[in-house]
Amino acid sequence: MLKSHEKFYSANGKRLVLVADDEMINREIMGALLANDYEVIYAADGGGALERIRENSELLSLVLLDLLMPRVNGFEVLRQVREHPDLRHIPIIVITSDQKSEVESLTLGAIDFIPKPFPDPGVVLARVRRTIELSEDRMIISSTERDPLTELYNREYFYQYAERFDQHHRDMPMDAIVIDIYHFHTINERFGTAYGDKVLRVIAARLRTAVNELGGIVCRREADTFLAYLPHGCDYAALLTTAAEGFGEFAVNSRIRLRMGVYEKVNKELPVERRFDRANIAAEKIKNSFSGNIGIYDSSMYEKELYAEQLMEDFHTAIAEEQFLVYYQPKYDVRAKTPVLTSAEALVRWLHPKLGMISPAEFIPLFEDNGLIQPLDRYVWHKAASQIADWEKRLGFSVPVSVNVSRVDMYDQRLAEEFSRILRDNGISSADLLLEITESAYTEDSAQMIDMVQELRRLGFRIEMDDFGTGYSSLNMISSLPIDALKLDMHFIRQAFSKRRDTRLLEVIIEIADYLGVPVIAEGVETEEQLLALKAMGCDIVQGYYFSKPVPADAFEAFVVERKKQVEEERRHRITFASIAQALSQDYFCIYYIDTQDDSFIEYSAHEDYINLAIEKNGVDFFAVSRKNAPRVIHPDDLDMFLSAFTRDKVMEELEHSRTFTLTYRLMLNQKPTYVHLKATRMESKTFDHFVIGISNIDEQMRREQEYARILQMANQDALTGVKSKHAFAEAEHKLDRDIAAGVALPFALAVCDVNGLKHINDTYGHQVGDAFIKRACFVICEVFRHSEVFRIGGDEFAVLITDADYTNRAQLLERMQRYNQSAGKEDAAIACGMADFDPEEDSAVSIVLHRADKAMYDNKKALTKGGETL
Amino acid sequence: MTIEDLQRFGARTDEGLARCLNNEQFYLMLVKKAIADDGYTRLQAAVEQGDFAQGFEIAHGLKGVLGNLSLTPLYEAVCEITELLRANTQTDYTPYLHRIAALHRQLADL
Repeated sequence: MLKSHEKFYSANGKRLVLVADDEMINREIMGALLANDYEVIYAADGGGALERIRENSELLSLVLLDLLMPRVNGFEVLRQVREHPDLRHIPIIVITSDQKSEVESLTLGAIDFIPKPFPDPGVVLARVRRTIELSEDRMIISSTERDPLTELYNREYFYQYAERFDQHHRDMPMDAIVIDIYHFHTINERFGTAYGDKVLRVIAARLRTAVNELGGIVCRREADTFLAYLPHGCDYAALLTTAAEGFGEFAVNSRIRLRMGVYEKVNKELPVERRFDRANIAAEKIKNSFSGNIGIYDSSMYEKELYAEQLMEDFHTAIAEEQFLVYYQPKYDVRAKTPVLTSAEALVRWLHPKLGMISPAEFIPLFEDNGLIQPLDRYVWHKAASQIADWEKRLGFSVPVSVNVSRVDMYDQRLAEEFSRILRDNGISSADLLLEITESAYTEDSAQMIDMVQELRRLGFRIEMDDFGTGYSSLNMISSLPIDALKLDMHFIRQAFSKRRDTRLLEVIIEIADYLGVPVIAEGVETEEQLLALKAMGCDIVQGYYFSKPVPADAFEAFVVERKKQVEEERRHRITFASIAQALSQDYFCIYYIDTQDDSFIEYSAHEDYINLAIEKNGVDFFAVSRKNAPRVIHPDDLDMFLSAFTRDKVMEELEHSRTFTLTYRLMLNQKPTYVHLKATRMESKTFDHFVIGISNIDEQMRREQEYARILQMANQDALTGVKSKHAFAEAEHKLDRDIAAGVALPFALAVCDVNGLKHINDTYGHQVGDAFIKRACFVICEVFRHSEVFRIGGDEFAVLITDADYTNRAQLLERMQRYNQSAGKEDAAIACGMADFDPEEDSAVSIVLHRADKAMYDNKKALTKGGETL
Repeated sequence: MTIEDLQRFGARTDEGLARCLNNEQFYLMLVKKAIADDGYTRLQAAVEQGDFAQGFEIAHGLKGVLGNLSLTPLYEAVCEITELLRANTQTDYTPYLHRIAALHRQLADL
């Protein structure tokens, strides 16, 4: 264990001891005895002792206390000291001459006793020294002042010790020194933490020996940072060399390099921590510098520190007096040909009454270090929110504004509540504020960050991951992150477009964003070349001087107004298009506008009521989408037909030739088959690059037509026999008459058939048997005149319009009819049949031919009856 | 007064001197101061008035100093009366007080 405090104290100063005894002579003896090794103060009674103890509570190493004193006795002093939290650490040895009191005082908390008369001075001194050592060691141990890894003091105890040292050596000039290892985290990463720990232990051991010899103290502040507090004037380079000597033992990596920051002749008015902050500043100065490993705190650093101090001091006034200004930098969506303003980023500026405009680069890192960033962030959130509300109120329009959420904000459990309140207070919605959270916040404590981000997203906030690419996120972690956009750190843009022009890293990051399915925002874009390159790489949103520098709210208002006009224009266009489409199409409930270059399309579809053409949907690959959706929306019976007819090739070919393509099929709408009519029309332009498809609901019309056809058919068909009806004959007659009148009638003949004895059968056997009779007779007629139209023109009467092949063979057919009658059995009806040819020269109407055929039929009927073949 | 005088008186000067880091001058100065202490007259007054508690306190104080200076004969006499007073013993203190006064005078006359 370290015993440096022995040297540390006794070599350079004396501990303070109080001797409290009412007897002057005893005090003199004890004082003389201690004077060589200790600084001694005295009290002549209990009250005085308590006073001295309180005055010197920080410094007092020991109290030697006589028990029997007038007024406040030693027991009372002991009790009061033990009960006081600030005093109880001070060890007390009681001086007594009787053993009873010894026991009592020990139970009251005295650490030891010295009898009276005093034993040998050596014994007294040994007891005093041992008591002080024990109590100091106990203090060290009791507050776990040691760093378990290196066994050096930890920071807190080290600071305390340094303070004590100063109290004993007010006039000794001291140096504060910080020592750390270059890129220690890479050592850990490359060789493992066990190796890293070994390195730390070796350095610690070296430093401990070296610093002790120099009469100083040393501790490990954290990680790879060591602090040393030394009397001024030691050889820093030698100290650093000594500390690094141990690395020779490490075969793996002897290239471990240390650096040192020194703050010489510290100002003891400063708190100890601040002294080491200065040493740290000096060390930071030499970061990555290969010119030397030792940095000395100098006046320029001091100036900078003073400046930082002033900024911190002025902060609260600046907030109260609203010296912080919120500027707005536009972000543009660059995917379309014309960039579109999507949102703005709120950026803070400080208009200092004395220092003028201060760049955020000067105060943000400072405020991030000391926690002032939190009130500053809140200030900006409120300002941005009220600005949005103001635009909404005055312009009736605004764009979303993104605000920065610092890492420390993310640890605030009331963050979501705070944002909700901001929305409520300003009457805006979570869509109006975008939250930019730096990537490194995620990597630090990702589980907690993700929870917080999810809560914010539940409130509707969109999250942009800021400074993406600067942290060390693993792809695995990123893919589980709840984010809505990736914001590229500015230095990627700079790097990519520097002289060497290497955009590979940029491309990788954009690919990652693609993989996550979120847009990429590039900031710091300054030139058109950068813009075009970023667009080509697939970057979606761009922010930077190319479009605009950050501007005050009133200047940004122009951007808002401009965007408002655009939106209104777009809306007007949309409304116009919708009205035109509606007016033109009337019945179209869905219109597609298709670009044949890439098959991208816009769908304008109406709600279920098919009135408002309002919903706009963009898509790519129109035919593929349609065919993919077909099985879901098209009636199964029509699906094959649709798929075979509605191919890109067929539609395009049809459009090339005849400008329109039509298709009727049934859609399943509300689970009901509904007839629709698809009509594709090629746009009138020089090149065939667009066409429009309209889909109309023709269900009602179709069903009406079908119904009509059905009724029509019913009218033209004889219900009993299935042959054409009297009505159909009238129509046919009408049609033929027109042809005859026009002189275009083709040759035909008419036959009239009459079923004999139907009345008798009906009367005798009932209509059912009669009907069967008719059916059989009709069958016979149809069989004979196979290629002709047969009409039932009366109860037992048929007409046959003989055309084509039957007309040629009409004589033979008539003979076949006669043969049937001759062979017909008792159950078969005899069919009287007469025939007449149309004579284009004589006959002016069908009725004339019919009349002749009718007559011939009667002749035949008579002949049949004469033959006795009656039923 | 010399160390030898004190030795003749019966003081264990080697012990007393050791406590004073063997500084004779310092030791003798403290002895003179001890002799000049008004505690002896105060002790007599307190005891004669029957205030034993006060008497004890004074005696105890004298005892501590005499012990440290190793003025042994007087120290032993004060020890005796201190213990009687501590126990609040009701007795005739005259012989004790006389003895202390005699030894104190003897010292003062050295």
